[in-house]
Amino acid sequence: MPNFILFLHEHQGQFDDRSQDEMMRIIQEYGAWATKMREAKRFVGGEKLTDDTGKVLRPRTGRIVVTDGPYAESKEIVGGFFTITAKDYDEACEIATDCPHLKYGGRVEVRQIHQL
Amino acid sequence: MPSYILLLHRNAQSMSDLSPEAMGQLLKDFNTWTAKMRAEGRYVGSDRLTEAVKTVTAKGGQFAVTDGPYAESKEIVGGYYGITAKDFAEACEVAKGYPMLKHGGRVEVRQIFEMPS
Repeated sequence: MPNFILFLHEHQGQFDDRSQDEMMRIIQEYGAWATKMREAKRFVGGEKLTDDTGKVLRPRTGRIVVTDGPYAESKEIVGGFFTITAKDYDEACEIATDCPHLKYGGRVEVRQIHQL
Repeated sequence: MPSYILLLHRNAQSMSDLSPEAMGQLLKDFNTWTAKMRAEGRYVGSDRLTEAVKTVTAKGGQFAVTDGPYAESKEIVGGYYGITAKDFAEACEVAKGYPMLKHGGRVEVRQIFEMPS
């Protein structure tokens, strides 16, 4: 069965106005979803990324420039990801609709992992 | 030691545009880069992604599934590496080895959050 990675896109600072208690509850909700994936034998992995925007490296006139992310044109960042198994894109997208990330205004990018 | 993910961005067309020779060289460069990370004991894992992209969104209780990449760009994440590094500066040094930088790609370096135990 193929594996799919779900990139959890969100607006930078999307959760900034939540209290610490609320944030804890939201993180637990994602954890509960991971548990549900585990029980369904679909869970491969998952991580939350730190809330800073990271770094971006790109080539410019023969050298590599390091800047702060995200890219100028967007304030969207990947907040984390889950890796799951599903039989095809339809099933992977169906599973993704249930991810708590969508409830909080994020979007989920579904990508199939290349089987070597 | 903190963990980082290197998100490997590239133009969706950039690999299919390469000649078979350039593609062969590129795969060799990827293998060399991976071997270096392993030798340094910092390799956690990596995957190559297929080029199809789907996006799931929710609006007013309705889910929508659309094809990507997004209209404003033909850029996709072609794959990723998980590595360990002592800080962002070290992770960025490692990221400079991404072979697609020579073909207009870019690397996004992001730290993985350590869950309080």
